[in-house]
Amino acid sequence: MKQFLYLFRGGDNNFDNQSPEQMQAHMARWGEWMLQISKNEQPVPGLPLQKDGKVVQQSGEIITDGPYMEGKEMVGGYVLVEANDLDHAVELSKGCPIFEVGGTVEVREAVEM
Amino acid sequence: MQASNEVSDLVDHFFRNEFGKAVAVLTNKYGSDMLELAEDAVQEALYKAMQTWPFQALPDNPTGWIIRVANNKILDHLRRKDKVTYQDQVPELNEEELNPTEEEFKDDMVKMMFACCNPKLSSEYQLILTLKILGGLSIKEMASALLKKEETIAKSYTRAKKKFREENLKLELPKNKEINTRLGHVLKVIYLLFNEGYKSTNHDQLIRKDLCLDAIRLCQLLEENETTNTAATRSLLALMCFHSSRFDARQDEDGKIVPLENQDRTKWTHEFIDRGNAYLSSVSDEHSQNEYFLQAAISGIHCNAKHFNETRWDIILHLYDQLLNINPNPIIALNRLVTYEKVYGAEKALVELKTIESEPSLQRNYLLPAIKSELLASMKMYTEAKAQLEQAIELTANPSEKEFLKVKLITFDKHNLTKTQ
Repeated sequence: MKQFLYLFRGGDNNFDNQSPEQMQAHMARWGEWMLQISKNEQPVPGLPLQKDGKVVQQSGEIITDGPYMEGKEMVGGYVLVEANDLDHAVELSKGCPIFEVGGTVEVREAVEM
Repeated sequence: MQASNEVSDLVDHFFRNEFGKAVAVLTNKYGSDMLELAEDAVQEALYKAMQTWPFQALPDNPTGWIIRVANNKILDHLRRKDKVTYQDQVPELNEEELNPTEEEFKDDMVKMMFACCNPKLSSEYQLILTLKILGGLSIKEMASALLKKEETIAKSYTRAKKKFREENLKLELPKNKEINTRLGHVLKVIYLLFNEGYKSTNHDQLIRKDLCLDAIRLCQLLEENETTNTAATRSLLALMCFHSSRFDARQDEDGKIVPLENQDRTKWTHEFIDRGNAYLSSVSDEHSQNEYFLQAAISGIHCNAKHFNETRWDIILHLYDQLLNINPNPIIALNRLVTYEKVYGAEKALVELKTIESEPSLQRNYLLPAIKSELLASMKMYTEAKAQLEQAIELTANPSEKEFLKVKLITFDKHNLTKTQ
């Protein structure tokens, strides 16, 4: 088993137009998918991330607000997943509900130590 | 740690119901001029829940979580707007207020219902505010449920909210003297809501059934409140339960209307019928002379008849007479005729019909020629029946209704054919 990082980017569509009913349905699909990609019926480790943050450079010499990238590139959260190989990890990512709202999943394999 | 699919196990419509609760609680605390802010804040809170809850176990108290997050959003907004820097200048909610008991929720919801159904607002506004705020429907869902254009609904919702603010409608129960009249308005909106959902149509069945269930849910809140639990409230609940029991039986797989006579009665939802019976029998005789009660009683007799031909038409006719007595309404008179025919025959019913057919309000109503056609057909006057039916088809705008009448037309044609042969 290898470790993979899924980075969720974008998919932060205009929620003003979403009804409570739609939001609940979308959330339910996330919950189901998180379980599907899990090995042990426990939530896979991961966190959603705030939009705002700081970028620190040169030991704190330069600190900027950000990273203000375009909405569709913004990382909105991550999870750590176990999979056999990259293909398997990609396969598992296909059910992610982020695709319903135009987001992407970046699949990265962790270097084995 | 609990499994993360808890978020998929939340009860149906949880967010939708929480929306109404949270907006009612927050508007109650901050005042009705903060309605829009409260709505936006709750919307944001639900969005945050959607984004974060799948990553962990559900919060211990999901409702409290939503209210707390929405409350913080409101505070943020107020501080930004008024450039308030000191916390004490903004009304703070204490821990208890952030965790209302089920009773307090219900109380706030009922108050919100009275505010939304204030007669100072047009009945269109009352309906839209109730649907949006208490029902937690989006503009799009409302448009689909009410068969209107999205932009039409959006515009009238904006105007309704403006009016709500201008009138400074308080979230409170009316005083003793007023309560019955005001409750009447609330019940009327609930019934309107129900009828919007119940109107037979091929359009998005699911959301329309939800509308009916919403109406029942809201009416039940009134029933659980001491002040608003009146004979009329329980009668309306009974009426809606009886109607709802037939929801699945009144259309076939192709969405075609199945008339009461041909409905598969095993498909009726008995749970609803039982509830209807219970509500109805809780109304004492002296309070039974209200419209909702009489209509519920009529519907109840249908629901409790095992077969169509076991229907107690005599009792139904008696109830219709009482109904007409308190509300001389030509549509009710027309519906009464259907029953009248079952008791006294088509010929006498046709004579009765003559007394109401000149009513101006019936002239564009398809029911008049449709019923007339029925009566003529049972007297085997198929040519005349056909002419009436054609008129009815022309007058109805509802596609499944049209379809239903057209099928009938074909059977009349067959009769006419056999007659001429």
